[in-house]
Amino acid sequence: MAIITISRGSYSKGREVAEKVAEELGYECLSREVILDASDRYHIPELKMVKAIHDAPSLLERLGHARHAFLAYYQSALTRAVQTDNVVYHGLAGHVLLKGVPHVLKVRIIADLEDRVIDEMKREKSGEQEARSLILRDDQERRRWTQSLYGVDPWDSSLYDLVIHIHKFTVADAVDFICRAAFLEPFATTARSQQKIDDLALASHIKAVLVEIHPEVRVACEYGNVLVYTGSDHRTVHKLEDKARTLSRQVEGVNHIEVHPGVPASSISV
Amino acid sequence: MSVIIISSDDHQTGQEIAAATARAMGYSELGRELLKEVAERHQIAEAKLVKALDDPPSFLGMSRKLRSLCLAYIQEAVLGRLVEDNVVCQGLAAHLYVCGVSHVLRVRVLSDPEKEAQKAPNQKGKPTEAGEKEILRQKKLRRRWSMAAFGLDETDPSLYDLVINLDQIDQSEAVDIIKDTVGYRRFFPMTYSVNCMQDLELAARVRASMLKRFSDVRVQARSGTLVVETAALKREKQKKAKAIREVAGEIPGVRYVEVHVINDIFRRAAESFR
Repeated sequence: MAIITISRGSYSKGREVAEKVAEELGYECLSREVILDASDRYHIPELKMVKAIHDAPSLLERLGHARHAFLAYYQSALTRAVQTDNVVYHGLAGHVLLKGVPHVLKVRIIADLEDRVIDEMKREKSGEQEARSLILRDDQERRRWTQSLYGVDPWDSSLYDLVIHIHKFTVADAVDFICRAAFLEPFATTARSQQKIDDLALASHIKAVLVEIHPEVRVACEYGNVLVYTGSDHRTVHKLEDKARTLSRQVEGVNHIEVHPGVPASSISV
Repeated sequence: MSVIIISSDDHQTGQEIAAATARAMGYSELGRELLKEVAERHQIAEAKLVKALDDPPSFLGMSRKLRSLCLAYIQEAVLGRLVEDNVVCQGLAAHLYVCGVSHVLRVRVLSDPEKEAQKAPNQKGKPTEAGEKEILRQKKLRRRWSMAAFGLDETDPSLYDLVINLDQIDQSEAVDIIKDTVGYRRFFPMTYSVNCMQDLELAARVRASMLKRFSDVRVQARSGTLVVETAALKREKQKKAKAIREVAGEIPGVRYVEVHVINDIFRRAAESFR
């Protein structure tokens, strides 16, 4: 019983692997559904959500805060979707958004550029030059997106538990690896690891609500005790405290919420 | 019936995994003990060979020529062993020069970051910021080394068939994964893949024998036919090509030698000012 996140470059057969793993294990397979859920719950147009999740931020966007809100919504939807376990997620930043949860098996699928170009040419019936440009541009966008928002390079192998190079291996081999790895002891759900994902889901949900008041709020949760970190602007702090009081009554699973202004956020915060 | 090459960001972790994998599979292990043999054969200090494998390029460090020579000798010895099959190789940078052979499984193992940080000086069980910075610095140096030595970034996952992170997965599980992986049919040697390995070995052997005299040669081999590339001025072209053919022709396994001489425009430019 695990949560499997499959990260991939574009046209690296990652989607195919994810779907087959889900089929093999009898797990749910999620990708775009998370975007739909996030845009439904938080009333954001789907296109806007997709752009925020997919495209690297422009210079102006990096100075603004809108993207923080979209990411908070996305993370809330994602953590909610994987909370019940037995899920294969393939999409952006699963390895980053679900960080710290022990029973998440983080896999990256990579393929040679030439193979990807051939696949793209077949799929889109385009020329080689066009296919190559598209793939390289897409890779750059995704890399810039993760680097600018999380300060990590998605091509860094240390972010993942397994990196599988699809060239000697077929898709079936990759599926086999992942299915076997999913049954390794570190990826078995325990009471403690389930608590961690529950805490993460709760923290993400509360952040998604509070981010409208202050875009740079950080939230940590352990066993339902929620800590909200923010800057020390008094007006914002009051608003956050009022909202926090409301949330502690309305949201199931919250034992207690505290707002800590002007304090550096803990490492487990979202 | 295969060859497993293990690369790691931490030498000790790589050694442990290689030893455990060799034991589990009944394969022989090839590691740094080979350097003693290389040192004796080529009359070169073993410490220099270790330096060539470990030290990144620096102003006061080993010269480029000496590093190339040491690495060429190591490559020759390693490939000479890998043609035999059923080997687990670690610590000899084989992941950077054994390419294009289908029965070779190249695995990169990333050590547990907490254990790694504890090895840094002044750690007391918990990784500190200073310890983590030191680890990043070491990784950067390592990347510089691999770029200087082989023109490849050894942290690039596309160099490997599989990358295993020991952050959650423990060593025995990693060994099981490697053992299961090498059991796939595509890692069984075929005539073609064995020939590819033999070609790599021949090319390495020829290059190692030529490098002292011709420091800029590049050698490719296919079924006994050699293509040797070198640079020379126009007036030396014929003489150099003849000398290379003579040296290469005497090496066992070489049937035919083709020499491609590239016009050395930099030397020509330098000499034109004299």
